[in-house]
Amino acid sequence: MNLTLKAFVKKELTQALRDVRMRALMFGAPIIQLTIFGLALSTEIKNIKLAVFSGPGDAMFGRVADGFYSSGWFLRAGHAPGEDPYELIASGRADAALIAPAAGLARSAERGGGRMQLLVDATNATKARAVEAYARNIIAAQAAREYGARDDAALKFDVRVLYNPAMESSMFLVPGVMGMLVCLITIILTAMSLTREKEMGTFETIVSAPLSNAEVLLGKTVPYILLGLADAALVVAAGYLIFGVPVRGPLWQLGLAALALVVTTVSIGTFISTVARNQQQAMLGGFMFLFPAILMSGIMYPVENMPRAVIAAAYLDPLMYFVRLIRNIMLKGGDVHVLWANLGALGLMALLAAGLAYKRFRQTLN
Amino acid sequence: MNGYFDFHRAYSIARKEVMHIWRDPFTLALALGLPVMLVTFFGYAIDYEVKDIRLAVSDRDKGPAARRFREIFSASGYFQPVETGPAGPVAMLDSGRASAALFIEPDFSKKIKGGGRVTAQFVLDGSDNSKAAAVMGYLPGIQRAALARLAGAAPREPVSFETRFLYNPELNSRWFTVPGLAAIIIGLLAILLTAMTVAREWENGSMELLLSTPVRPLEIMFGKLAPYGALVLAGVFFVYLVSRLVFGVPFAGSHLLYLAACLLFVTAALSQGLLISVITRQQQIAMQLGMITGLLPSMLLSGFIFPVESMPVFFRYFTMLLPPRWFMAAARGIILKGADLGELAVPFLALAILSAGMLALALKKFKTDLEP
Amino acid sequence: MNAAPALEVKGLSIKFGDFTAVDNVSFSVERGEIFGFLGANGAGKTTTIRMLCGLLEPTSGTAVVGGLGFGDGGRGIKKIVGYMSQKFTLYNDLTVGENLDFAAGLRKLDAGYAAGRRRELFEFIGFDRPLSTLVASLPGGVKQELALAAAMLHDPEIVFLDEPTSGVAPASRARFWTLIRRITGMGKTVIVTTHYMDEAEQCGRIALMRTGALIALDSPEGLKRSTFPGPMAELDFKGAPAEAFICGLEKAAGLLELSPHGMRWHAAFSDRAAMAAALAGLPPTAAMALINPSLEDVFIRLVEGRER
Repeated sequence: MNLTLKAFVKKELTQALRDVRMRALMFGAPIIQLTIFGLALSTEIKNIKLAVFSGPGDAMFGRVADGFYSSGWFLRAGHAPGEDPYELIASGRADAALIAPAAGLARSAERGGGRMQLLVDATNATKARAVEAYARNIIAAQAAREYGARDDAALKFDVRVLYNPAMESSMFLVPGVMGMLVCLITIILTAMSLTREKEMGTFETIVSAPLSNAEVLLGKTVPYILLGLADAALVVAAGYLIFGVPVRGPLWQLGLAALALVVTTVSIGTFISTVARNQQQAMLGGFMFLFPAILMSGIMYPVENMPRAVIAAAYLDPLMYFVRLIRNIMLKGGDVHVLWANLGALGLMALLAAGLAYKRFRQTLN
Repeated sequence: MNGYFDFHRAYSIARKEVMHIWRDPFTLALALGLPVMLVTFFGYAIDYEVKDIRLAVSDRDKGPAARRFREIFSASGYFQPVETGPAGPVAMLDSGRASAALFIEPDFSKKIKGGGRVTAQFVLDGSDNSKAAAVMGYLPGIQRAALARLAGAAPREPVSFETRFLYNPELNSRWFTVPGLAAIIIGLLAILLTAMTVAREWENGSMELLLSTPVRPLEIMFGKLAPYGALVLAGVFFVYLVSRLVFGVPFAGSHLLYLAACLLFVTAALSQGLLISVITRQQQIAMQLGMITGLLPSMLLSGFIFPVESMPVFFRYFTMLLPPRWFMAAARGIILKGADLGELAVPFLALAILSAGMLALALKKFKTDLEP
Repeated sequence: MNAAPALEVKGLSIKFGDFTAVDNVSFSVERGEIFGFLGANGAGKTTTIRMLCGLLEPTSGTAVVGGLGFGDGGRGIKKIVGYMSQKFTLYNDLTVGENLDFAAGLRKLDAGYAAGRRRELFEFIGFDRPLSTLVASLPGGVKQELALAAAMLHDPEIVFLDEPTSGVAPASRARFWTLIRRITGMGKTVIVTTHYMDEAEQCGRIALMRTGALIALDSPEGLKRSTFPGPMAELDFKGAPAEAFICGLEKAAGLLELSPHGMRWHAAFSDRAAMAAALAGLPPTAAMALINPSLEDVFIRLVEGRER
């Protein structure tokens, strides 16, 4: 390796890793965040506080209510006799209330209309939708039990879920979050590192050395590409070991995808640092890239579900290509078309970003 | 309080800080641009109702019933049938060109006509959970429609229920995300900006300069934080206007209570930013810490998208330490449910305690650092 | 190496947009000289130095540094000069050894050569702390000496020092100037900017700059002689009100310069006769002494005086 590049790598890594707090942030924080995503966040709605209201001795309704509570999704929300269900939901003591018909469920069902009422707190629309879907399934199952097996429907679905049969949220969230974390760390580090040198004045020393522009640029980027790749490896290992997220595709594909992403983000970070005059500006500039990039990446919201204009913008988002790549490689085992199409797009972005950074960088030097 | 806190001195520091912000187009752009971006994104781009799911169909029957069956999927509005390649539907899922696949067996039409029972295999891409879960939710409806149209027999439902969605009858997701954005904006801007500006003063030594004047630490803090507080509140006001005027989100509760909730949360966020800056004293670290303890919790652990109640026990308790969780509860309660002060007592009290705690810690660390 | 001057500058100018930062500057510097730039902030000292180090490309004019031109974008020049910028040039969060290793890497010095140079330079600056000391923990003067060592690691022929002693304690400043003299003793050339007059006195020649232009260039003594050909008097009014007298004196014939120095005033005249006439009405309580003009007087007359 070139002597200068070696000196840069050593210097940048020493600076980035000397401070314990910096080390913790670079390697500890991703693990913590991954853990939060993997453990705490779930797209499955659980622990819904349900209150039930019925007349005395409504045994059938009691069985329906038991069906809710034994499903695992609902918690029992107690209430005083005669309390208003609306009041119960307004005060937040219940998320939903199931109310039996006045005549009793069994009697009104015999008369041909056993209609219960389900009140749902729709402050959270997604949650409300889930509550209704659960209720539909539970009530249908209970009705089947009450009136004999109704499994004889003329048409049934046999549903199979591929790649993530248990529909675990962590399987879906963790690979995306990996991309997000690597993107975040590399952008912030690079955007700030060059700016800090300019702020401190040490940048003068570097430019006063007989180096070509490319040498300086490589010196300030290669160490961060290495750090970014190390973080990517760490996060993949953590995802695999802690959450059992499988790596079904070949590792070289994963490595190539990570490299393309890291080169792109490091270049963008460097570009930001050439524009920013101080660290605060660098950080804010980093944010202006990171925020939309994360939102449009498909990590949390499916890209296909967005309006056309947003999808068009998402095609400029390097993180979106990476999320597609990593989900495909880790969960689906890597499809040739997905790999080369997205890797090609990401690689093109990496080249473009690096070229742009180089151009801006040269201007700042002179 | 006189002698400990002089308003004029605090004011002159605040004025200096305003000049800083005003001359820094980046800070202004982000402080004003972020709310716009978030509102646009969560207001327009995100629709929690998953639609246009690309469905690969393998129809080995090609009879009239099979055709009608396929039409039911496309007519639902949720599915968008796509051309199946030669490699079959599962390959379409592998490459992500379809998110679900439907298999219709060869004698589908014959069996339906003869009143027999058919099973249609439905395969889902589980690598995108949010989509897969939504699709599963649509299947019962499709099944009922298919039974009615194909077998001509809507199943009799002796027991049924009707749902009433309170506070947001049409399940408009904007009603739920847009009011929550205030939490993100405050959480992000207040924490990060204050953490960084105060850390910057430490880093370039101007804090020592300020401290060598008769200005008291409390005045410095107030002077430095007030402009950011104002900036952040401007962002919140913007979100309020857009959510009311553009998205028609109702405002069921008291504006005064909402303002109180915002002020409380801003105080908590600013205290947190201050605490971070005092601990780190270095912009780069302050920023990273601000992101981890400020941005991520506001977005992820506050209940903004992922309900707190669905989290594992540890996290349900852990989130109690996070101001955004309390603010989110208070804000949604006030805006959508019209909660009164009695119902807001817990979140308000929690926010007050957390702010006081962080502020006290910051002041203590600040003071001990000054003593040699 | 050769007998050509260390620096040969002709008509050097640089413009940033409409602003002319350095305007048609010409001078030459001999090898082994201590050449100082003196001027107010923004006078163009730093910009001139940055051009001569190959960091900025001049808009017009030529500069030959150590026999080399700018043909290759300044890279040849960068190899033979050492540069210590105004701001602190070492990394506070790296150790002494790591800083010097990085400086060596920037210059592509091989490890053995760099270690040898490091030992020489440590001896030269009298540095005897462990290599593993964090730079942040060093006193200001030592940091500055170390920065000098880092700038000289590649054994440059010409060393550019931009305000090397700003913010350093007086004792350390004196030490640093001893080092500068010893560098020229080795046959190297030192170009230095300063705003301390006592430091300027130690330069072989001084270039005075004002608003981008070179307004005077001579040895300290030569500058004093050419600026103040006549006598200079120091007036001390001992606290008595002197407004009226000063106002009168300002209009006196043959007065070259009148400036306050603390409680006292310095008055320079074209010749002794003019002085005698102008000071005839001096209040009896006031004391008058003939003094030699200092560089500060020169600076005030040449740099500040013309801006009135």
